[in-house]
Amino acid sequence: MIQFNPGLTGESATLAQQHRDTLARLPATVRAFILTELQKWPLLFEAEQRYQRALLEHVSRLPEHDLDQAIAGIGRIEKDAGVDRIGERNPARFQDEAQALLRKRGVNVAWRGEVDRFFQQIDPALDAQLYPGDAPRRLIVQLYAGNIAVQREKLWNRFRRAGVRVPLNLEGTTGSDAFLQALFGVRDAAGSAPALLAAATASGPLDAWIIESHDALHALCDGASMTGLSYDRLRAYRDELTRTLNQKIQSGVDSPQAFAAYARGLQIAPPAGALLYSADVLLAFVRDVFLTGNGTLLVNNTFVEWAAVQALRRAQPRILVTRFGVRDKLKPFSSMVLFSQPRASDHNPVVPDPAGSFIDVEQLSYYVWLNAEKNPAYRQKTLYLFLAEGVDEMLAIRSDKPAAQPAATTPARLADVYATMARWLGATVPNQSGEPILPLVS
Amino acid sequence: MRWRRRDAIRILAACMADWWLPHRLFAQRPATPKSKAQHERRVIVVTFGGGVRYEDTLAREGWVNIPHLTSELAPQGLVYPIARHEGLTGHFNSTAALVTGSRQNVDAYGSEAPVTPTIFELFRREHALPPEDTWMIATNKSFGLMGGSKLRSFGDPYSANVVLPKQLLISTIKAAVSTESGPGVEDRRALAERMMLALDEGYEGFGWRVFESGRALGAELKASLAKSLLAYFNDPATPTSGDELTFFMTKEIMNRFAPSLLVVNFWDIDIAHYGAYSLYLEAIRRTDRLVYELWQHAQALPAYRDRTTLIVVPEMGRDSDVAGNGFANHRSGDESCRRVWLVALGAGVPRGAGSERPIRTLDVAPTVAQILGFRMAECEGKPLPELAF
Repeated sequence: MIQFNPGLTGESATLAQQHRDTLARLPATVRAFILTELQKWPLLFEAEQRYQRALLEHVSRLPEHDLDQAIAGIGRIEKDAGVDRIGERNPARFQDEAQALLRKRGVNVAWRGEVDRFFQQIDPALDAQLYPGDAPRRLIVQLYAGNIAVQREKLWNRFRRAGVRVPLNLEGTTGSDAFLQALFGVRDAAGSAPALLAAATASGPLDAWIIESHDALHALCDGASMTGLSYDRLRAYRDELTRTLNQKIQSGVDSPQAFAAYARGLQIAPPAGALLYSADVLLAFVRDVFLTGNGTLLVNNTFVEWAAVQALRRAQPRILVTRFGVRDKLKPFSSMVLFSQPRASDHNPVVPDPAGSFIDVEQLSYYVWLNAEKNPAYRQKTLYLFLAEGVDEMLAIRSDKPAAQPAATTPARLADVYATMARWLGATVPNQSGEPILPLVS
Repeated sequence: MRWRRRDAIRILAACMADWWLPHRLFAQRPATPKSKAQHERRVIVVTFGGGVRYEDTLAREGWVNIPHLTSELAPQGLVYPIARHEGLTGHFNSTAALVTGSRQNVDAYGSEAPVTPTIFELFRREHALPPEDTWMIATNKSFGLMGGSKLRSFGDPYSANVVLPKQLLISTIKAAVSTESGPGVEDRRALAERMMLALDEGYEGFGWRVFESGRALGAELKASLAKSLLAYFNDPATPTSGDELTFFMTKEIMNRFAPSLLVVNFWDIDIAHYGAYSLYLEAIRRTDRLVYELWQHAQALPAYRDRTTLIVVPEMGRDSDVAGNGFANHRSGDESCRRVWLVALGAGVPRGAGSERPIRTLDVAPTVAQILGFRMAECEGKPLPELAF
């Protein structure tokens, strides 16, 4: 059996020690995966830590015969590929080498299939334990900024067979600020979050997330104890990250794996004020979003979608609000050289692309919804609201009743939407002048 | 199964020998080249490339993105709506499978050549053809080794010329912006001159493998490339996509050398990795237009008119929304990554036909072999019988 040297400390070391015998029985690639997660323990979100604990406890409880059967396929592929001959003892580096070996042997697809099968067998039990039916409800709001060139006849067309269209009365909510304030409520005092978001962050700032291409939501939440990621506000961070990666490329890298390892180890801090909440776990999250998401360094809405999907998967906030905006057109020439910085004299004017942005965000907001619905934390428990600033219609989907409903007839005010969200979450909010939209909350 | 194992051992032995033995860098002109009259048929294979989903192209809802293919090219030829890519869903391996007829499992970033013979090598070897008779023009910058396999009995003496126009563009831009002095990228004339200079200094630095078989050809080749580059920069639409440059280069090579076998790799569609669906759709529409214009160009050249078969095929798909990771990626290996289509038209192809018979992208190579009349090496694909030979 391969003896790994994960160098664990604290709670993760205790966990590995408690389940030492179970870990020893697992195939090397699965064991390396778990140990790599344990290595990252301080930088895991609470939901991820809960999952790792539950996974080890569950596998430890499995009868020997059942576990052997569940892992037999993975073990067979590992043996055929010669994974046991890999000399690396650091689990993360071992994983890289094992993946390369499996690819080289042409069995990585089969291996992935066996790993999927293993987790399909144990996930139902884990899901039942981690996400019981009476867990609190969740809310995901997806917004399109007012300058996106929305085509009404195509708006949210991917959801034709889901949810209910609710006409809106937007009187008195012209402009982004008024729209967002009416939607999320006023702030009690400077430094607090808007009422609805504040109500959801009782157990910590990681319970409510706002992720946006620009910074209208952040302007509404500045100083609040919640989590916020703004592509615009992270500009200096992105520039620094790009510059560092470009320098590394210019100085030469041995392999894509070596480059990835270098990138993973980068410690660049966003400037003060760029993040609403800047715990270590979040700094690592931001770096990973930019490094692992294709296009996140280059396209603002791609950043929003990828960060949202990762937040849902990893942090599992109770409230997530995304706000997509207009992206710029890609610049000729300078944009072809990935990671490089155009020199000052080569700056082409920035040209926004409101029409292309609409096509993009229709797809991206759909992906956020799809990914949330794949996640047991959100399935059956989530109200999804889709709004486009300045558009007098809203799409609402309850994940426990996703089928398409006839459109509502009475226009709702944003105050009613605010009341609906509060009712859905069971939150007590001040200044509630609206009425909940009953079909959405009953 | 037994033959596959034997085959694998043979390939492995050949590869090892190839590493041990001196590697010849330049192609050789065969001792007794055959005249062009002996192989009048021509084939152009276009990868509708970069990874494109069936639902965004040949499915009913995708027709809006490929108007030229659906309304102008497909009615002239034969459509296989059900084609499948098997094997790894990366660009190099999927394209290498297309030109060899066998699944490939080599370095995804192009540092290794395919492990089974390519159609270029087989064609050139059997017909004793000079290097200028087979070309690969690729937007993907990692395709430098796509023109020949790593087998000792094949390789460089029979490989295709491979040019990577976008790589030239990127390298030149990098050089142009490497210092604060000079015209940068704003002055296109200066940029074009810099490109010419780069070509004079040696294009091997860009990953190009152009096998010169004589001084005269070398000069002609450079003149051709220069003309292509200047045409590119003088285009009133000032195109800035890699595929546009590939298209210009392809036309020049057709004009100058009229190769019998030409594989064109379009790749702009892979901009999907940026996560902007509109840019992905825009690239699909551009590829559709370029394929159409390429066919028009072939019809305008006597060397190609009425004797050319065009095969258009995506080398692979992209992930589905539900089962995979969405259009931005192509690594999940789900069905959407594998489901593609093929359109053939021109010489020997029935007009206005379609075949619901499922085919594989692996079938392209043996089909090309049948059309051009050379023996295909043992491979996984089978010739498409619906095409008349």
